Amino acid sequence: MNFLVTHPVFSIAFTLLSYFLATVLHRRWRWIPPIVAACLPIVALLLLVREPYEKYNQGGNCLTWLLGPATVALAVPMYRHGVALRRSLPTLALIVLAGSVVGMITAGGTAWLLGAPLPVVMSTIPKSVTTPIAIEVCRELKGIPQITIALVILAGVLGASFGAPLMRLVGVKDDRAIGAAIGTAAHGVGTASLVRRSEMQATVSSWAMAAAGVFTSLLAALLKLFLH
Amino acid sequence: MMDTMLKRMSLRSLYALLGFAILTAFFLLGSCLHQIGIPIPGGVLGLILFYLSMSTGLVKLKWVESMAGLMLRHMVLLFVPLTVGLMEMGQLLSKQAVAITASLLVSLVAVMVTTGLLGRWLLPALPAAGKEAGQ
Repeated sequence: MNFLVTHPVFSIAFTLLSYFLATVLHRRWRWIPPIVAACLPIVALLLLVREPYEKYNQGGNCLTWLLGPATVALAVPMYRHGVALRRSLPTLALIVLAGSVVGMITAGGTAWLLGAPLPVVMSTIPKSVTTPIAIEVCRELKGIPQITIALVILAGVLGASFGAPLMRLVGVKDDRAIGAAIGTAAHGVGTASLVRRSEMQATVSSWAMAAAGVFTSLLAALLKLFLH
Repeated sequence: MMDTMLKRMSLRSLYALLGFAILTAFFLLGSCLHQIGIPIPGGVLGLILFYLSMSTGLVKLKWVESMAGLMLRHMVLLFVPLTVGLMEMGQLLSKQAVAITASLLVSLVAVMVTTGLLGRWLLPALPAAGKEAGQ
């Protein structure tokens, strides 16, 4: 029994099945986050058969590797929306760059001031950007990818729910500014929440999310040079 | 009728395969460059090179569109295995819960307010967004 359950092919198939069920549940009940619904059956199975995560991850790793090509795929919305936005692109780039710098400093700085150990501090730094890039940046900085993922998901969900009200609170009404703020802070999850509100917000947001990922990687490279 | 349908379907799956090959090739190229000393992650280097290739017309959007769309739509699947790993981090997470939560909230608000306000000051000087997108 345990031979079957820990076979890498079984791990992949079971992950696909859990993901499929999670998307079905999410379609019926919108408030269920697919990532949580997809993970729970896997965790339950591993606890039930008393196998360590490491065994499951022999197969799981194959899916993790695909995040590489998926990162490259982010260039497609960036390119497509970049064409539509070309005149405001330099200004947008500047704004997103500023947002990314502030995000990295405040995330790392807060964790550091509250006495978190260095790997945890490093894990918080890429928390604003889209998951595949955040994981790569976290690995570069010798953080803990799992912590980064949890933060990225939470940033996305919170940004999607409270981003628009916050923008209203500080008096930001320009569609492009709202899109840039939510794309930079809450990546794909935030962007998805804008699609039904305004086409311009969603377009800027998906450009900003990819740009924030690129800028954060570049800034993390600088940070790494500085730390050595 | 059946023939044309099959032909169209196989053409579509060929495009998907071509798209996957191109995305993987750029990822591997980026990873090689990272390996020889460029300090940016391989995937991001691949993204930058791929963007430049599309801008210069070396790679056509049509070749990669379907596969890129598929991967972006179902990206959540790809980070399920890493997220399951959280099950072994309960202790570390509960010990650092305050620092992690504070860092998340402070930074989230800071990023949105900075970006939003800068946008509010700098963007209105530029041509109306709606007109521009329609060009």
